[in-house]
Amino acid sequence: MSDIEHKSEDTIPFFPDHVRTEFFVVLGILAIVVIIAIAGLIKPVGLEEPADPLNTPLHVKPEWYFLSLYQILKKIPAMVLGIQGKTIGVMLPILLLGLILIWPFLDHKPDKSRRVYWVRMALVVFTIIFIIALTIWGEVS
Amino acid sequence: MRYFSLKRFGMLTLLVIAAGLLIFIATHAHAHPPTLPKQPDKSASPNWSLAEAVSFSPALAITPPPAAQEPCLSCHILGENKGIWTPLARWILFGGMGLIFILGVYRSASTWVTRSPWKSFTNRAVGWVDERYRISEPLSKILKKPVPKYALHWWYCLGGITAFLFVVQGITGILLAFYYKPTPEAAYASIQYIESQVYLGAAIRAIHHWCANGMIVMCVAHMSRVFIMGAYKQPRELNWVSGVVLLILTLVFGFTGYLLPWDQRAFWATTVGSEIAGGVPAIGNLALVFLRVGWNVTGETLSRFYGLHVIIVPLATVAFMGAHFLMVRRQGVAKPL
Repeated sequence: MSDIEHKSEDTIPFFPDHVRTEFFVVLGILAIVVIIAIAGLIKPVGLEEPADPLNTPLHVKPEWYFLSLYQILKKIPAMVLGIQGKTIGVMLPILLLGLILIWPFLDHKPDKSRRVYWVRMALVVFTIIFIIALTIWGEVS
Repeated sequence: MRYFSLKRFGMLTLLVIAAGLLIFIATHAHAHPPTLPKQPDKSASPNWSLAEAVSFSPALAITPPPAAQEPCLSCHILGENKGIWTPLARWILFGGMGLIFILGVYRSASTWVTRSPWKSFTNRAVGWVDERYRISEPLSKILKKPVPKYALHWWYCLGGITAFLFVVQGITGILLAFYYKPTPEAAYASIQYIESQVYLGAAIRAIHHWCANGMIVMCVAHMSRVFIMGAYKQPRELNWVSGVVLLILTLVFGFTGYLLPWDQRAFWATTVGSEIAGGVPAIGNLALVFLRVGWNVTGETLSRFYGLHVIIVPLATVAFMGAHFLMVRRQGVAKPL
């Protein structure tokens, strides 16, 4: 447990100063919510045909945030290194999530300089671009 | 002390009369006396001259008989069918009187204890609670906790925005749950009902739909910010772990909520999704049967997803969110290099 020691001129009190800024952020989000509500009244989210277990549609797509994983699963070859491709496609996101979960225990040395920020930023940007590319690929295919 | 006095007796009599009047008005009085349509007298012979006159004056002929009105006191008091000005004037008049009354009660209660110095009722109420439970000192400590100035950059807001979107999702979700029916027969129709009949239903559903997507985007953005700045390092490992759990819970929210409209897209996305879960080695079939409640996606699956989406995942999210916030609160916002 390490309480960061701040000089008093570097801080603002939580209430009311910090709460006030948070309040304005919340107001901004609420404005967006109202815009969404008006857009929803003009053009409702809508529904497709009712569910029919006997009638499989041609293209089944998950939500966009699962689309990249689904695309990996679709495009992976049937057999990779003697393991079924499907198993790899399923286990890959689980293992990645496990890696992310225990990441602080793997990368535990304190940062020395700001340069690591840029390394990690590059990593994040690369990952996000990769995911977006897979999502677009899945959306158009 | 005299228990009987003319003054008391008179007051009591007035009260009884007033109460009696009130009860009488509430039960008997009609705003409009009921005007029932006159029953035609069948015994009399037809009045041919009147019939002729009626047939030549169309305005008289098409006038319908007065309908039996439902006299209703509350409608009368609210001034229904009287345009805008009458009810407005009544609201202003009686509302103003009510406000003056409440203010008077507040002022009276504030000066109730006449010997001690004057304090407002609010101060008295707070003091009463504080005297018993001693909350003002820890509360002011919580509220006065200094926040570093660097925490005002916009990228520190992303986590808070996610939390606020969760609140929005909770509120709109409760509103949707009032009308949604989680059975395969009624689910689709209830969504249609929400979108077309329920007052502002389409807006509520649109907010719930788009803010769900926004919440996932904000989760990932917050996570990226924390990762880039290395804020997950010692001593904040568990903050990161609880945050990843919250991301997983958000994705579970998305997955379970996607089935609820019970349309083709929802049904087949769930079918494929649970099939993918079935591909996990060793525990695949267990996961598949847990998700689908059987080997196929049926009404049981819908009930299970509804239960997960509405009760279990929100409870878990609130618990982990509380832990997340408490940890941030205890350790302060991580200092950037």
